[in-house]
Amino acid sequence: MLRITGGKVYDPANGIDGEVRELCVSDGKFVSAVESGRTIDATGMIVFPGGVDVHTHVAGGAINFARAMTPEDHRRTQAFIRSQTRRSGLGGMAPTTFATGYLYAGMGWTTVNEAAVPVLSARHTHEELGDIPIVDKSTLVLMANNEIVLDLLENGEYERAKNIVAWYIWAAKSYGVKAVNPGGVAAWKWGKDAKQLTSSIEGYSKLTPGDIILQLARICDDLGLPHPMHLHCNNLGAPGNISTTLDTLQHLEGHRAHIAHSQYHAYGGDDWDEMRSETAQLAEYFNTHPNITTDAGAVLFGDTVTITADGPWQHLLYKLTGRKWGNLDIENETGCGIVPYTYRPSNLVNAIQWSVGLELLLLIKNPWQVFLSTDHPNGGCFWRYPEIIQLLMCADFRKECLKKLPDKIKQRITLPEIVREYTLYEIATAMSAGPARALGLHQKGNLGVGCDADVVIYEHDDDVARMFGHPRYVIKGGEVVIEEGEIRATPDGREFIIKPHYDPGTEQFLQPLFEDCYTMAFENYPVEMERLENPDIRDCVPNL
Amino acid sequence: MGGKVTCTLGEVKNRGDFIIYWGGNPAECHPRHFTKYALMPKSKFLPNGRKDRTVVLVDIRPTKSAKAADIFLQVRPGKDFELITILRAMIKDQKISAEAVAETGVTLEQCTDLVARMKKAKFGCVFFGMGLSMTRGKHMNSAALLTLAAEMNAFTKFVAMPMRGHGNVTGADVVMRWQTGYPFGITFNRGYPRYNPGEFSTVDVLVRGDADAAFIIGADPGATMPQPAIDHLARIPTIVLDPHITHTSKLSRVHITTAVAGISAPGTAYRMDEIPLPLKPALKSPYPTDEEVVRRIKESIAKKPFWMPDGAQMIAAQV
Ligand SMILES: [Zn+2]
Repeated sequence: MLRITGGKVYDPANGIDGEVRELCVSDGKFVSAVESGRTIDATGMIVFPGGVDVHTHVAGGAINFARAMTPEDHRRTQAFIRSQTRRSGLGGMAPTTFATGYLYAGMGWTTVNEAAVPVLSARHTHEELGDIPIVDKSTLVLMANNEIVLDLLENGEYERAKNIVAWYIWAAKSYGVKAVNPGGVAAWKWGKDAKQLTSSIEGYSKLTPGDIILQLARICDDLGLPHPMHLHCNNLGAPGNISTTLDTLQHLEGHRAHIAHSQYHAYGGDDWDEMRSETAQLAEYFNTHPNITTDAGAVLFGDTVTITADGPWQHLLYKLTGRKWGNLDIENETGCGIVPYTYRPSNLVNAIQWSVGLELLLLIKNPWQVFLSTDHPNGGCFWRYPEIIQLLMCADFRKECLKKLPDKIKQRITLPEIVREYTLYEIATAMSAGPARALGLHQKGNLGVGCDADVVIYEHDDDVARMFGHPRYVIKGGEVVIEEGEIRATPDGREFIIKPHYDPGTEQFLQPLFEDCYTMAFENYPVEMERLENPDIRDCVPNL
Repeated sequence: MGGKVTCTLGEVKNRGDFIIYWGGNPAECHPRHFTKYALMPKSKFLPNGRKDRTVVLVDIRPTKSAKAADIFLQVRPGKDFELITILRAMIKDQKISAEAVAETGVTLEQCTDLVARMKKAKFGCVFFGMGLSMTRGKHMNSAALLTLAAEMNAFTKFVAMPMRGHGNVTGADVVMRWQTGYPFGITFNRGYPRYNPGEFSTVDVLVRGDADAAFIIGADPGATMPQPAIDHLARIPTIVLDPHITHTSKLSRVHITTAVAGISAPGTAYRMDEIPLPLKPALKSPYPTDEEVVRRIKESIAKKPFWMPDGAQMIAAQV
């Protein structure tokens, strides 16, 4: 049992904005009162719900491929030293599993959503997640380029497609659906891409990316998934892609959706020389459509490694940068590309990207709709989130940073005109309460009675980045895991999964299709429940 | 430059209409490779199976696999790197010298024909075996071939894949990478992972006599390593976990017989394309699994005083 007294509490899920409140914890959850146990005196301190990362890449074949490609970074980066109870690891651009848990918890994040899992290698992803301590986890499976699903959609077999998506989610022991460059990754298997929402996809006679977007969004809604379709739009990173992004949003026809890393999807101009920010248009769309949420996918200057299921984009990035290129196409399901990358303030395109991420966070008015993310490690590493918080809370600091950008940028961005500064309440919403709600994890990002006792306590510091980078205490499931800069405990996290309803005949229908295109035995394909270290099955009630 | 452009084996089965085996003898070393993945299977995109695929073998001698290939190119021993470099130049229409080509043992006509076929392919895949990666200039050779495949993507879809050895070598590589960032050749002697193949690889540590104990699971270094390494294993307390009595068992202080993975012990094996396959045991073994033995040893060690001094939890940057 634990009591936290005297702190200023920011709990947006319950409308509490900086009031001094007492929090009581028993059996890992908030309760109304406790009899005994430790008391943390948080007088003068700031109390937040633990951070929730709605979109990150921390486990599985893709990040592990990135680790293989970046030994030079492992050699220079932060190293965690083993102890009798704690495993060693390395931080950096693609941190090792144990270090991933320490780094997230070390800055007060207690739940993470791994946003891109191929079903074929989901067993691997779960094994890695089992080695990420402290934080709770969820995963999304890649569905928008699955050829079995695409063939069914091409033939108008919606019900069958819906059953198969549900079957795949359970086979992967996953939590929801991710759509990456719908149709484009399937086309990449022939070295092509899908850039027009209304043109048929390479290898299909009538199916378009727009069809996939609408049908998958509808499937996610009909299955009653706690998290809506999580969509990485077509045309990522390309100048002028704002039109694709807006077109995509219109294709949703009122269905729920979460738009991943919208920073990469809000550019104007016809080519790299003409590229500019189009955040005003995109923010306006969000401001008038409360059914959709997004995460920023903000960019920070420095070295990183980019990882995405968007194979054709990574090939382009390889050609642009001439750096190392990793590509892994996965039978029937998806692809993945990896390119090390350095964002430089002197590079006009990078400077625009940096600005666009911040503009979206500042121009989308409702912090319940736009969340803190860098699309780790794509725009920057997750352990740099405190730097973004500082940029959001301090307009003066933004001005200082803007001075370092090329002069040519002036007509191309809107950041210099934005005076908004996030309040602590808004930060708590964008880093915790908002993403938890979007994920349908109602026990997270919420300091109310009955919710999971994940808390982060900061000592006030005028240096915002330092304050958010070095919490005084982090409490996960009622246990003090970080205290005064030290890791005190490394409990195992849970994995949230769902079992959406599917027709019992689905397997019989799927098996022959499966055997045609896969190289694994059908009965070996679904991940066994025993493979998950601490599974927690959440409700999933279909909308009939 | 370079990198690794690859795919899972199912992609080759479904789409691979142009297959190159370079320095490998799958007919004898990976007998199911032809039938399951690369040559025989029919698919939506290759309805006639073998007839829809062109198969090339590059090797220093015509092995059994040459019979299965449409084209056999006999490269002079030790000239793989040169041949790959010539192909990299030719795909970009760069000038090459006739002498350089002649030295490889392959004719200019053969090279020209190969390049034309590579570019005409819809989905090309080059598998490379031990013959390439373990000979002179070993990892330079694989890196060059991976780069050739990457560069081919300017013209058509092209991938490359190493043909790894037996057992679960890939699995060890995958797990070490997620836990430490590195695939092998790792030391923890400062309390965190450091990597230097050639210094921290098992064979180097043993030859130098740096190890004062050895714990060996699912490997038989006593049969394969150089004599000074074997001599050192015999000098120090060596513990072997293996279903069979191996060469290493015979020179070890302790051999613990364990259940056979996949037959009587469950687990996961990673295929050469890093796809995890569950091992579902059909039989019960009287012996414990490797995992169980390791866990029990770990529990006993945990009761002993910890060997590392108390100190910082982490260092912000390595020097
Ligand atoms: Zn992402």
